[in-house]
Amino acid sequence: MPAGLTLTDEPLLLAEAKLAAPRQRAAIVRRPRLEQALERGADAPLTLVAAPPGYGKTTAVRAWSATSETALAWVTLDAGDNEPARFWTYVATAVDRMRNGLGRRALHRLRSHGLAIEVAIDEIMNAIADYRRAFTLVLDDLQTVTDHDCMVSLEYAIERLPVNARLIVLTRVDPALELARLRARGALTEVRASDLAFTAAEVRELLVDRAHLEFDDEQIGILLRRTEGWPAAVCLAALWLGTVEDRDRAVLEFGGDNRYVAEYLSHEVLSALDSDHRSFLLRAAVLGSFTAELCDAVLGRSDSAALLSHLEESNLFVLSLERREWFRVHALFAEFASARLALAEPTEPQIIHRRAAEWLRSEGLVVEAVQHAAAARDHEFVAEILSEDHLLLLRNGRSGTILRWARTLPDDVLREHPDVAVAAATAALLVGRLTYERRRYLLLADSRTSTHPDRIGSYVECVASMVRAAAIDRGVDEAVAQGYRAVELARREVDASLVVALAALARALYFRGDLEQAWNAASSAADHPDVSHRVPGYAVARATLAVIAVDCGRLSTARGHAEGARAVVGRISSSRSWLGAVVAEAVGSLMLAEGDLAGAERELGFAERLVGDDIATVEHAWLLVRLADARRRRGRLDDAERTLRRALEELAELGDSGDVPGLASGVAAELEHARREASGGEILELPTDAEIAVLRLLTTELSTREIGRQLFLSPNTVRSHVRAIYRKLGVGSRRDAVARAEAAGLLDERDHPGDRCELG
Amino acid sequence: MGELTGHSFPRMRIVYERGNTVLVGPVRDQAELTGLLQRFSDLGLSILSVTTVDDPPGR
Repeated sequence: MPAGLTLTDEPLLLAEAKLAAPRQRAAIVRRPRLEQALERGADAPLTLVAAPPGYGKTTAVRAWSATSETALAWVTLDAGDNEPARFWTYVATAVDRMRNGLGRRALHRLRSHGLAIEVAIDEIMNAIADYRRAFTLVLDDLQTVTDHDCMVSLEYAIERLPVNARLIVLTRVDPALELARLRARGALTEVRASDLAFTAAEVRELLVDRAHLEFDDEQIGILLRRTEGWPAAVCLAALWLGTVEDRDRAVLEFGGDNRYVAEYLSHEVLSALDSDHRSFLLRAAVLGSFTAELCDAVLGRSDSAALLSHLEESNLFVLSLERREWFRVHALFAEFASARLALAEPTEPQIIHRRAAEWLRSEGLVVEAVQHAAAARDHEFVAEILSEDHLLLLRNGRSGTILRWARTLPDDVLREHPDVAVAAATAALLVGRLTYERRRYLLLADSRTSTHPDRIGSYVECVASMVRAAAIDRGVDEAVAQGYRAVELARREVDASLVVALAALARALYFRGDLEQAWNAASSAADHPDVSHRVPGYAVARATLAVIAVDCGRLSTARGHAEGARAVVGRISSSRSWLGAVVAEAVGSLMLAEGDLAGAERELGFAERLVGDDIATVEHAWLLVRLADARRRRGRLDDAERTLRRALEELAELGDSGDVPGLASGVAAELEHARREASGGEILELPTDAEIAVLRLLTTELSTREIGRQLFLSPNTVRSHVRAIYRKLGVGSRRDAVARAEAAGLLDERDHPGDRCELG
Repeated sequence: MGELTGHSFPRMRIVYERGNTVLVGPVRDQAELTGLLQRFSDLGLSILSVTTVDDPPGR
């Protein structure tokens, strides 16, 4: 296989080890009660196995699966799966391996519509349903996935699991899923640390029956107490005690020792190994997962296969996987081993990573290679991979991956690879709320030192201009100029970027108030024949068409475009990104025009939160103005005023903000008008004494709850009084209620200052 | 602290005390505790302290 840099149109290779279930270990303690617990969960869609490392979660589930008549798809997750596109690609691939072609449609969706994740998930669920027989999907190490979009997508999937399927999740930490709701519905089974911990009987079976160590009940009690039943500790203890001379004394010393039990025992067991084995194990731990061949290449040996086999038999540190001779080191052990090696031989880990990266790359295992290259700080390698594959990654919604790798690169490497810098800037734009980081990448691209041929130069300039136009970093007029530049370069030389360049130009023109030109640019983008491959640009174009149509009063046209943008972006995968904000802006603006004020406030508020970070931007200010308008129309004048004030503060920090200050003035004028109406109007009905008591306290800063405390009323009662007050005074806000009441003299001192208000 | 919706943390009782928010409730084990702390962090809440109120039996 040639040096493994992928071509832009081929799918990125996957890490094999992540798709391999651990091999069934021969000599383990049978734990029928755990198998029963897992079997009992067969009717519930989700089984949660949650416990810290070393509790035997993987072992238990694997052992159960061997006794159960179920097809088993296993995915071991890691930090790189914090992106729905990658997460579900692994799941779809695992499903595909159950029966050839089963995951094909889902994989196709993920490759071509990398953003609308729910579509791919639907395909996976359909495929599983088609499989008909019992199907178990296991997700191991879920604690590594914390991304909100991934969790939302997982919940979506759980709701749609077919009848023949169940999901078993192994994690060290309770995941951010709606567990309470699932529990209440009986859709959740749990297996927790207290279930997985060894009982005295199980400890006896392990030590006495299996390891043939003669211990009495009291000694077993000591061991159980010291380890607290933590399986990793118990198993290590068994290994260790098998090597000592005076076992009785060892048990007593162990029982009286206060050091951290896992480290203590790992140290003991490692010390008991012969030095060659120990050296091998410590170094293999750095590799994480590996094959015998990889070990041989990295450690300069030829006997890794035999050694791994032996180690796997005789201790718990090494596990083999059911895929092409892959092995993995147990997570808990890997921690201690790495620390120990780094202490003893500080330069070793980096050398190991470097050699691993080289070997993996030569085998075409690109994804694994990059991880080791990053760990080895082999920046050139990482930059090369990004240079080759960033278009594919961006198209497939893998901006997070791009950023993760780009962040490991120092400035001078980025200057030498300006195409990587602009790809990272694009990724930062799409993810959102990374203004500072995005600008940094653009500046590095500007100061590029690469001596690449002109083609790269045009590409870099085109993308940099596009990002600047879309983000409006230096004022609206400048953004428009950048947009035209991007389009010109795209038309001449960089065809792949034309759609997104036109979309960025359209947005900049819109913020300048040039609606007709914005419309033309966005239409050109949306009508381009290649749009199915240019999803981010297409989404932005349609969202821009939607907001322009709203401003021109063409609501049904706007609706078509807003729905189009939403369909392409999907609800799940961009719920936390800039693209999600762009769609929400369009949908919210449409709702505002259609009179769905609650919906408008929700969507615009959502967009505002997705776009706002510490740095003032034109887009955020615009959103605040729109949001203020929605709140004003809902009669929430206080909130509208607060929101508008924030917008004005932000605009004061910005230079050229195009059309936005004008829009802000318009909303301010409407707000003034509304306030005047509120305080100058007629009182419809006189409030009761109880209501006036509440009204008096509305003049203060007290909250509903505090007002209730003062008047000995429940918050609900206070709220219904407030509603009545608003109705009777014909107002919509606290401030207006006070203004109108004061104007009408309702709050003047009464004749009976000692009166107590009526309760209720 | 703002509108912390009760159903984000269904097993916790929410008490307001001297300007801080206190959540009181049963936590079974480390996995659940770490999950809760992660949730707080995701919501942007600052954790001031974590204290055991009652010792559960047997541990």
